Amino acid sequence: MITYIGRRFLWIIPVLFTVSIITFFLMHAVPGGPWDREKRLPKGTEDRLNAQYGLDQPIYVQYINWAAAFVQGDLGPSYRFQDRRVNDIVADGIWTTVQLGVMAFILSVLVGIPLGIFAALGHNRGPDYVATSVSIIGIATPSFVLSIMLIVFFAVQLGWFPTGGWKGPQYWVLPTIALAGFPIAIIARYTRASMLEVTRKDYIRTAHSKGIRDGAVVSRHMIRNALIPVVTILGPTLAFLVTGSFIIERIFGIPGVGQFYITAISTRDYSLLMAMTMLYAFAVAFLNVVVDVLYAYIDPRIRYS
Amino acid sequence: MQKRLFGILASIAVIAAACGGATTSSAPPPASQAPGTSAAPTVSAAPSVSDMADEQILRIDLHGEPPTLDPNKAQDSVSISVLHALNRGLLYFDKTGKVVPAAADLPEVSADAKTLTFTLKDGITYSNGDPIVAADFVYSMKRVVDPRTAAPYAYVMCEIAGADALLGADLGCGTKPGVKDPAAIDAALAAFGVSAPDAKTVVVKLSKPATYFTSVLALWINVPVQEKWITSPNATEAANYVGSGPFVLQTWSHSSQIILKPNDKYYGQKPILTEIQMSMSAEPAQEQAAYEAGEQDMVQTPSEDVIRVKADPVLGATVVEIPTTSITYYDFNNKTGPTANKDFRIALTQAIDKTAFINATFAGVGAPANSFVQPGIPGYQPDLNPYPFDLVKAKEHMATALTALGVPNAAALGKLKFGFNSGSGHEPRVAFLAEAWRTAFGLETEQIGSEFSVFLTQRHAGQYAISRNGWGADYPHANNQLGLFVCGGGNNDTQFCNADFDRLLNEAAVEPDQTKQVALYQQAQTIMYEDAANLPLRFGLTTFEVRPYLGGLEVGITDSQLPGDALYETIYIKKH
Repeated sequence: MITYIGRRFLWIIPVLFTVSIITFFLMHAVPGGPWDREKRLPKGTEDRLNAQYGLDQPIYVQYINWAAAFVQGDLGPSYRFQDRRVNDIVADGIWTTVQLGVMAFILSVLVGIPLGIFAALGHNRGPDYVATSVSIIGIATPSFVLSIMLIVFFAVQLGWFPTGGWKGPQYWVLPTIALAGFPIAIIARYTRASMLEVTRKDYIRTAHSKGIRDGAVVSRHMIRNALIPVVTILGPTLAFLVTGSFIIERIFGIPGVGQFYITAISTRDYSLLMAMTMLYAFAVAFLNVVVDVLYAYIDPRIRYS
Repeated sequence: MQKRLFGILASIAVIAAACGGATTSSAPPPASQAPGTSAAPTVSAAPSVSDMADEQILRIDLHGEPPTLDPNKAQDSVSISVLHALNRGLLYFDKTGKVVPAAADLPEVSADAKTLTFTLKDGITYSNGDPIVAADFVYSMKRVVDPRTAAPYAYVMCEIAGADALLGADLGCGTKPGVKDPAAIDAALAAFGVSAPDAKTVVVKLSKPATYFTSVLALWINVPVQEKWITSPNATEAANYVGSGPFVLQTWSHSSQIILKPNDKYYGQKPILTEIQMSMSAEPAQEQAAYEAGEQDMVQTPSEDVIRVKADPVLGATVVEIPTTSITYYDFNNKTGPTANKDFRIALTQAIDKTAFINATFAGVGAPANSFVQPGIPGYQPDLNPYPFDLVKAKEHMATALTALGVPNAAALGKLKFGFNSGSGHEPRVAFLAEAWRTAFGLETEQIGSEFSVFLTQRHAGQYAISRNGWGADYPHANNQLGLFVCGGGNNDTQFCNADFDRLLNEAAVEPDQTKQVALYQQAQTIMYEDAANLPLRFGLTTFEVRPYLGGLEVGITDSQLPGDALYETIYIKKH
């Protein structure tokens, strides 16, 4: 078991290596560069900036330089924010992003799973229709629409919360809801489908025929079994949430790192873009391993060797 | 975010062009003034205490994180908006763009107008209490031109003696390449024409008479910079920042908020505000919502909200519209394809109803443009409109063009490539134009929306027949406008190339008489538009909402992001 886990974690290294090569060469293959403006800088200024940042070197040399610095924990200078190191930019924003992600994750689990169970128990009756409608709306509504609606209604009209910023608990509420909207819907649908499948299993019929109370059947037998597939999606969902949302962070003016994932691409901030990609790749790879390990605890039938 | 350099460098274009052999100094630009005449800063009528609110806190949004607060390196409007509050140079601007004294009085000018001597005011200090000395100005200016700094605005210093060795021909300065290796750079810096004979005197030697150079010295890049400060780690963070302006950097929470407090060591006009809170939303819809929720005191109205805001009885009363010296235009490819045919370009021009275009796609904000030089800039020609909207004539020109191109109808040309950058609100404008041409001629276009940098690269490479473009004046001078379209120019994405046009621009650049100079620019512009080289559509106007309780706003041409943000120290909050 330990060996297995160790091996799985070691596999993250070649994954990150591959991701870094693909990203690095792709981003340099895209036309344009970090100094592009609608008004062009004089050619000489661009050359100087390129020389200062090593962009005049052959591309493979640039990759080696980047990789050598990366393994030593140096993410390089930002091209957009010239006085700052990418390490500082990431360090400044990452905990805000993780905090928002974890809050949204907890909210999605606390709402999504009960919603799915509720729907499954009332299968093809009122509760199911209500819960399914809620989750379809959640999936179909883009997060920027949800965000703006929340701002217009709760911040501008009712004045209960601020429209944006990140200065205290009252600032956390709307972004958390906006970010959780989609995962709530996904988790609810998975839970519902999984519950319905379990309901038809022989061991549930057995449990009922033994005379166990309905509530106990649901909580001890159905939910426990039904949650195994749900756990599978929780890993990537958490990875998605803690690495931040460009849209939510941008709309609510949240000083996290999620916003940089898009702005780094559009401004060709190569070092920041690499840092964000590696961060996201690591989070996905790592949490997938964690989920695999968790299976063993949730489902005694699964054994790794 | 685009660099904006306003009201200031009227000289620079002339400098660049004058490298061709000007013998006398060029006509002074509107923004500059003759040295030697003293002028006091324009100050609004002092507010009376009874008008003032108890709490003097200004809340604004910068529209993003400043990329840098290193004054020598800054180039974008967000950074400059903050730097205007934090630092002051030898000179500064009033709201009309006139140069006024700051750390020094206006300079003594030598008889040959090539040496400017500044005497610093007595007892002036930085925000940390250290004295501001002449050597700090010298260090700062040398740092701007030092190739190792790679400052984007270094090229504006070309007029200083010895700058050509550092900047080089590739920055439009001198005829030789700039020096590269460290020893040569240090030698060139030692020979650079800025010196401090004593702690209170700064001497700037120019390579040619250029009285207007005071405008360059008033820019944010030339403020005093202490070497021991800027070379220290994390110098531009709030805890370490050493400034010389009316405000100090109290906090800088990255991507979140900047808070400025009055600088009690400041030698100039003391601010009335006790605090400025600058948030950094990057999302216009959120900024507008924050204004409506009462969290902000000013906002630039997002274009999609303009109609609603103006119609709103409460918000509409707070609307302020400020003309910007900017133009929306579309490039025709003058070099290849059907758009290389003059009649074809004329037909495309005449098929567009510009007023309808502005009403449909800019919420009616802005004025129709028929020429390139913008209103307010000498050389603007309100009557120049060789090809007004006229569908009948448009069709005639198209018929002539199609005959010349040897095709039976416009559809036979295939789909013309029509490029723009996607996701920045240009889609309806592109659609409007494409539809107008399709309806008028049956001409089909392939509308290609690309990511910004990709679009810029392809537009510059001439890969589109028609492409979106825009220009904002760096400084109010026709050379910064028409200079775009010289043959092979770096921003000439129209690929326009006309020998007469180039000749007139060269003549204008060395013409000392401003009236004659303007006439030359107008001749050149007339040539370009009789050729229908590009499609001018709209002169810019920006809509802001400003709380009626903001007093002392000195709205002027050196504003960077928001009305009055070049002179924060005059702003105050009225009772409300």
